[in-house]
Amino acid sequence: MTAVRPPTIELRGVSRTYRAGHPEAVPALREVDWSIAPGEFVSVEGPSGCGKTTLLNLLGLLDAPTEGEVRWDGAPVGSRSDRERARLRLEGVGFIFQRFYLLPTLTALENVELPMRALRVPRAERTRRAEELLTEVGLAGKQRAFPHQLSGGEEQRVAVARALSNRPGLLLADEPTGELDSGNAAAILALLERLRADRGATLVLVTHNPEVAGRAGRHVTMRDGRIATDTRGA
Amino acid sequence: MMRFGFGASLRHLRIQQVLAIAAVGTAVALPVVLISVGGGVATHELNSLENAGYQLVVSASGEHGITDAHNLSRQILALDSVTAASPVLSVAIDSFLPGGGPSPVLAEGVIPDQFTPTLGPAESGLFPSPLPLGDPTDAVHFDNGTYAGAATNDVLVSSPLAQADGIATGSTLWLGPTTNRSQATAYNVTGTFGVPLSALGPTGAFAIVLPLSNLQVMAGLAAPSPSAPHDAADTIEVAVTGAAAADPTALARIRGEVQRLVPYYFVGSLDAEAEQLQSASGVLTGFYLALSSVALTIGLLFLALVLVRRVESDRRSIGIRRALGLPRRWIAREIVADGLALGLIGSVLGLAGGYVIVAVMAAWGTGGVQLAAQWAVFDPTTLAAIVVGVAFLSLVASGVATRAALRVDITEALR
Repeated sequence: MTAVRPPTIELRGVSRTYRAGHPEAVPALREVDWSIAPGEFVSVEGPSGCGKTTLLNLLGLLDAPTEGEVRWDGAPVGSRSDRERARLRLEGVGFIFQRFYLLPTLTALENVELPMRALRVPRAERTRRAEELLTEVGLAGKQRAFPHQLSGGEEQRVAVARALSNRPGLLLADEPTGELDSGNAAAILALLERLRADRGATLVLVTHNPEVAGRAGRHVTMRDGRIATDTRGA
Repeated sequence: MMRFGFGASLRHLRIQQVLAIAAVGTAVALPVVLISVGGGVATHELNSLENAGYQLVVSASGEHGITDAHNLSRQILALDSVTAASPVLSVAIDSFLPGGGPSPVLAEGVIPDQFTPTLGPAESGLFPSPLPLGDPTDAVHFDNGTYAGAATNDVLVSSPLAQADGIATGSTLWLGPTTNRSQATAYNVTGTFGVPLSALGPTGAFAIVLPLSNLQVMAGLAAPSPSAPHDAADTIEVAVTGAAAADPTALARIRGEVQRLVPYYFVGSLDAEAEQLQSASGVLTGFYLALSSVALTIGLLFLALVLVRRVESDRRSIGIRRALGLPRRWIAREIVADGLALGLIGSVLGLAGGYVIVAVMAAWGTGGVQLAAQWAVFDPTTLAAIVVGVAFLSLVASGVATRAALRVDITEALR
């Protein structure tokens, strides 16, 4: 299994409006024009409800804009079939969700193996790689544990290991260190940065932590569904 | 809960899954019991007909409806190719042991030398041959319808009755039409016979066989009377030569000749009875299958509901899988595997449950229920068809759940 080259991602006039459960349409993103170059480390900050998670979902092809288009390497991806978008996610995107979203019926090792199973990585190789990743995130002794047997920080680390298992070119992380103490948070950030440095992966990281944001090369702040600031430099 | 495959998902059985398995199991057990017992009874009856030693039966409406049984039997016996014409009268009477009270028994009155040739291969070994009832033709006592001749007063006792009441060959048994012992007559026990439960019905285990004329007199069915038929019998069983029995045309001819002798009675052939029985059995099987289909449909609807309910409760897990990029076919495959596993586990338990129910009925049932259960036939083809049917319906149920799962919106599920 080789790492997938990260794409250049562009958002052109992207808006996302939600209607379900609301009497009136609720805009989560408003006419966003933005792009990310391969290998960039971008931090996204902003108050709750400003559209950070929606932005990540659109970048990772979990969601589609109600207006505008998302392009990967210049090609619009919104018109691709659900199956094609799932394949792009599986091969090229790693998600670290704010609420971990581990599968409760799988062990830590099985959770990390899951994307590799779908990619038909041979059993021995995927088990070896999952064990390595769990060791890297400090969970060597927790491979057989189910999520309910893990602390919040441990679940977070399993989620990080799972996101890295398919060697993604694009890593999208929603508060990846929110549940970790400073030591573990630093270790996880170091792991993510190493992935980016080694393979040139793109890293988009939503955080409220100024220290974490400070390690990114590009800083975006959002407000009311729009990108308020977009600056480069540590 | 879905995992990689159904083997793993079974580790997380929940109450709905247990209930779904129970529903499918019940739905399978019902047809297993119905079809195995119903089919077994039909098969047994067909075998009885096919193994009988006679081919034609004269019968009349009402109890003991044939009159002039001795004379009619002689006339039928005189027909070409007829080898035996055996009138049979069945009456419930009472027996009295020395110093004992009345005990009901089923009495069969027969003409000894006509009765033996009408026994089929399965029954002939159960009776002594010739029947030791004194007068082989029953002509002496009958005496041309006067019943003035000397009665032999011989009786054969069934083995279960002889064993239960300690009746030995050579002993005396008092027999009477009512529980009043003063009306009873002393009979010589000249032998015993085995009674298969199927031969005389579940109550026939306590049975006796005696000359027809003796039973007619005892039951008040001998001499002409305004209130009862004379020289009465229930049926006349007619045996023909082997060649005639194997030739439908010859059998039809003989049947016609017998019918001309007794235009006011019904003359049936066992072949026709077998056909009717097969036809009735087919109708019953269809009814059982319809009933079973309803049960299976209800069971599988329950399974579909459980699977859909699980999809609802696993929306987040499904959303996570789809967010990670797992193909839709993975999710579909897991649901189908789970549905099939539940259906097949239910099937196996239903088959085992049905078998146990039939075994319990055979061991502890009463009367006809016990007898029917003992005749049950577990046809592997039918049982396999039930399992295949359940597997198919499980696939349909899984399809409904899969459709619901693939409609899960990822961002909604992860919210």
